[in-house]
Amino acid sequence: MESPTATRASSPATAAAVTAAWRAESARLVAALTRMTRDVGLAEDLAQDALVAALEQWPRDGIPSSPGAWLMTTAKRRAVDHFRRAETLRRRTAELGHRLTEVAEAPGLDAQVDHIEDDVLRLLFLCCHPVLTPDSRAALTLRLVGGLTTAEIARGFLVAETTMGQRISRAKRTLAQARADLDLPTGEERLRRLGDVMAVVYLVFNEGYVATAGDEWARPDLCHEAIRLARMLAAMVPAEPEAHALQALLELQASRLPARHDPQGRPVLLHQQDRARWDHLLRGRGLAALDRSERVAAQGLPVGRYYLQAAIAAEHARAARADDTDWARIARLYDTLAEIAPGPVVEVNRAVALGRAHGAEAGLAVLERLPVGALAGSPLLPSVRGDLLERLGSPAEAEACFREAALRTGNEAERALLNARADACGRRV
Amino acid sequence: MRYMGFVKMAGDVGEAPPALFEAMGEHVQRGFADGVLVDAGGLYATSCRTELRVRGGQVTSTDGPFAEAKEEVGGYAIIEVRDHAEAVEQARQLAELHRQHWPEWEGAIEVRRIATPDEAGPGDAGH
Repeated sequence: MESPTATRASSPATAAAVTAAWRAESARLVAALTRMTRDVGLAEDLAQDALVAALEQWPRDGIPSSPGAWLMTTAKRRAVDHFRRAETLRRRTAELGHRLTEVAEAPGLDAQVDHIEDDVLRLLFLCCHPVLTPDSRAALTLRLVGGLTTAEIARGFLVAETTMGQRISRAKRTLAQARADLDLPTGEERLRRLGDVMAVVYLVFNEGYVATAGDEWARPDLCHEAIRLARMLAAMVPAEPEAHALQALLELQASRLPARHDPQGRPVLLHQQDRARWDHLLRGRGLAALDRSERVAAQGLPVGRYYLQAAIAAEHARAARADDTDWARIARLYDTLAEIAPGPVVEVNRAVALGRAHGAEAGLAVLERLPVGALAGSPLLPSVRGDLLERLGSPAEAEACFREAALRTGNEAERALLNARADACGRRV
Repeated sequence: MRYMGFVKMAGDVGEAPPALFEAMGEHVQRGFADGVLVDAGGLYATSCRTELRVRGGQVTSTDGPFAEAKEEVGGYAIIEVRDHAEAVEQARQLAELHRQHWPEWEGAIEVRRIATPDEAGPGDAGH
């Protein structure tokens, strides 16, 4: 096949370079092809076909001056071939051919930035569609918007590659069967769907931030993917305070990643972290994103759970030493968060904040009000109760709580930390 | 992983054409929107420039510009990428912009991985 762009500006390229150039364009490519074909599965196949064509040609000819335009032209040509071959769908071919011609006559891919951004947003809404389970939404988003391979996503979520492959295929089938709407939602529906998208980005981040199983305390790759998605989202919907807040929250939390474990790989809790080891570039960016969220919100738009969580993270980020933390303000932010997004995890965190701001009894009182059996599968509640009891001066009860928490975690590093805290309490009994 | 990119060029290269500025503006905007670019800036060639040199136990201070420099850094960017190939792709895009919009320009774009406490570069003991 003849290269659509005549320039031979660059030298021969390696497969890794070709893949990187494709990946830089893949979200826009899949998104535009989804609009044209109304079929996300086909769009992905076409984008992959374009990658295969690039892998055949670019290593020899070099990467074209506009890889996006080259890939788009190639994929559209494959789309036309595909529909021509499907003879029983002749009528659809005519329709599609019309749509493709329309698009082919438009200026180059790079010139349609606004259009393309809408495409990517539409694709993001589709990947996070309510008919899909949260896990499928996350996998599909990483695959189609993040441009990750199935193997990479499987590694991130600690599942077998075949399992992840099946999950992604099933998700695409579900979308097709549900005839999921490709149009951008509006009004209330838009806000609700935006909330779904943000929840998926947050889920991906948390999956990386606290590994729920295995020996690794954190898998920063998923954190990085989530931050990238959050930045993309904030750029696509700049008038939404919560989108900037989500970006701020993830950047601020990730800024602590380098300090979250010691050189031996053991976890270090927030108040003991060496703050010089924080990632101060991310910290600064997170604070700047929070500012943007506040500026947008000042125009009358409501803030929500991401803003409150980011504001809490920012209080920690602004404290040069742990002792400088404004716990009273953090406690007030948690009070508000507990009102708009009630739940046992928020209550436990509120207990921590109240414990620091107003004494361990205040924190324990919050925990007392939790229903029996709350968070039974998680180490969070007993570990926080243990911490508060330790502060209160009840080491024996605290030790029992830390032991209980250690039994509940599937994370080796966290278990070691909890057992060490239990041992320390035991020595003080 | 995080990389720093540098644009290096002859010191007396002159003013860039408006088309390059425009293209660079779009490129930077897109880099931020894609979540790849985290910081970028150009560097003044002549003013506000001082070099402190340590030699033979002495520290000497010299104000710029430095006429003897063959090639110097004219701008930088900090990017967050998944692997080295993605960093090189960002550099390639920048090189392509210069080639297209400033045909007589000659220089180099270099990307280098930023060392962090957690991840020393392969084969690098660090400093």
